[in-house]
Amino acid sequence: MLARVMQQYNEAIMDTDRTTALQVVRDATGQGIAPEEVVFEVVVPAIELMMKSISENQGVSLAQHFMAAQIASEVVDEMVPRFKKAPEIVGRVVIGTAPGDFHGLGKRIVGGCLKAMMIEVSDLGLNVPPERFVDEALAHDAQIIAISAMMVHTAMDENGCLGVRRILKQRGLEERIRVAVGGAPYRFDPELYRTVGADAWAGNGITAGRVICDLIREVGK
Amino acid sequence: MMTGMERLIAAINGTPADRIPVFCNLLDQGAQELGLPLEEYYASGEHVAEAQLRMRGKYGYDCLWSLFYVGKEAELLGCRKIIYAKDGPPNVGEMVIKNYDDIARLQIPDDITSHPAFAEELKCLRILKAEAGGKYPICAYLTASMTLPAILMGMEKWMQMLMMGPSELRDELLAKCSDFFQKQAAAYRAAGADVLVYSNPFGCTDFIPRKFFNELSLPWMERDLGPGGTAGVVYYCGSARFNDVIEAVIDRLGIGVFYLSPLDDIAQGKRLVAGRGLTCGVINDIKLLTWSKAEIRAEVKRMIAAGKPGGKFLFGTLVMPYAIPEENIRTMLEAAYEYGRLDAP
Repeated sequence: MLARVMQQYNEAIMDTDRTTALQVVRDATGQGIAPEEVVFEVVVPAIELMMKSISENQGVSLAQHFMAAQIASEVVDEMVPRFKKAPEIVGRVVIGTAPGDFHGLGKRIVGGCLKAMMIEVSDLGLNVPPERFVDEALAHDAQIIAISAMMVHTAMDENGCLGVRRILKQRGLEERIRVAVGGAPYRFDPELYRTVGADAWAGNGITAGRVICDLIREVGK
Repeated sequence: MMTGMERLIAAINGTPADRIPVFCNLLDQGAQELGLPLEEYYASGEHVAEAQLRMRGKYGYDCLWSLFYVGKEAELLGCRKIIYAKDGPPNVGEMVIKNYDDIARLQIPDDITSHPAFAEELKCLRILKAEAGGKYPICAYLTASMTLPAILMGMEKWMQMLMMGPSELRDELLAKCSDFFQKQAAAYRAAGADVLVYSNPFGCTDFIPRKFFNELSLPWMERDLGPGGTAGVVYYCGSARFNDVIEAVIDRLGIGVFYLSPLDDIAQGKRLVAGRGLTCGVINDIKLLTWSKAEIRAEVKRMIAAGKPGGKFLFGTLVMPYAIPEENIRTMLEAAYEYGRLDAP
C-alpha cells in the first residue's frame, strides 16, 4: 500500500496538485499508515526523487520546486504532532537573503525541504546583515548559515557571504558553523561560491536540502 | 561601414552584411561613464541618453537602450521607493501589492506618456531618436503580464498566488498587467523605440510546467501582444532557457526574434527557429567578471561558430554586471566583431 501512496503522492507533486497530494497522505493515515511513515517513506523520498530529476536534467520547473517544498512543509506540520515521539532534529539552519537582496522565493523552497528532513530552520527574512546571520546562528545553535542572493552584486557584496566569512573567522567560529549559498549567480558561475567564501552552493532550492544535510554531517564529525 | 540598424535588418532578412549584429547591454555602466553615483545618474533622462550614446560610440556595438532599470515599471504603477546599490541595478523597495485587496486598488494609468515616472524615459528616448534614430536600434524593455506581478508583489507571493491563489483574483491582476503592457508597448513605439524586449520568465518551462505554459502563459501573451502586434518584439525569458517553447511561440504568437538564455544550446535554438526568425546567442556574462582574455575569446568563438552558419544570427549579452572590467568588455566585443565577420555586401 505504501508503494501506491508514494506513487500517487509523487504524481500529485509533479502535477503541482496540492489538493490531491494532501488528500493522498490524509487517506493514507486513515488507512493505517503511520504519520512517521508518511513523512519519512513518502514525503522525503518525493523530495529526493525531485533532486534526482533535477540532476538528470529532466525539466523540473521552478513552480514544481516551489509546490514540492510547500506541500512537504504542510504535510510535516500536519503529521509531526501525531508522531509517537518527537522526531530527532538532524540539525539547525539560519537562512536569509544577502544585504540589498529582496528575493525570497529561493529560501522559502529551501526551508520547506529542510523542514521535511527534520532540520530546524530559522528564517531571518530579506536583506540580512552579516552580523545578524552570525548572531542568530549562535542564538539558535545552528550549524549552517544559508544565504540566498539573486543578483551578482548582492552575491559578491562585502557585507554578504564575504562579510559572514570575515566575522566567523574573527570570532573563531569557522569549525562550528558552515556557510551555504544559492541563487541565480551561482548557477551561472559554479565557482562563485569560492570567491565569496562559502563552503558549498546549490543550484536550486530542492538540491539545497542535500547540500545543507552534507554540511551538517561535516560539522558533526 | 554599415550601421547597427542595417546590420540588424540584414540579419533579420538574411541578406548580406559586414558582420553579425552585436547587442551589448550596458545599463548601470552609464553612471561610471559619466562619473556619477547610480541614483544621480538614473534621475535624469539626459544622463542615460548621453551615456548610452557615449558607450555605443566607444565600444562600437549595435544597440541603444532606453531602459533605466526594471523597477521603473513598478514606479509607473505606484511604487514610491527604489533602493539604490552602489554597484548594481536599483531594486523595488516597496511592493505595490502587499495583499490581495491591493489588486482591486491597482490603477493602470490611462496615458503612460504623461505619467511623471515616464517623463525621464521619454526625454531619453527623444534624445536617442534625435541623435541615432534609424542608425542604431533603440531598445525598450517591457515585462509580460505573466511576470509583471513578480515586480509588484514579489516573486514569492506571485508564485504562491499563481499556484495556490484564487483564480478570479489572479486573472483580475493579469488582466490589469496585460492592459498595462499594451499601453506601455504603444507608448514606447510612439516615442520611437524600434525593439521591444518582451521579458517573460513565466513564458518558459524552466519556470512553470508545460501545462501552465499552454493554458496560462500562451493565452496571456496573446492578449498582451494582440493589439500592437509583434513587430520589433523580442522573446526573452530573463536568463531562463526556452528552446523547448520556440515552436509554440512562433506558431501561436508569431514572434520572430529569440533572445536565448546563456544556458540554451545555440545550435539547437537555431534549428528550432529554422529560418523563421532571428536567433540571438547570449553569452554568460557573469563569467566575464573572471574569465581571462583567452577564455573570453574562446567562448565567443564557440558561440558564433554554433550560430553564424546559415545567417539570421545575433550575438548578445544579458544585462552586463556592473563590475565587469572594461578590458573584458572590449575583449568580448572585439572577438564578436572578428568571428562575426561576414562577406561584405
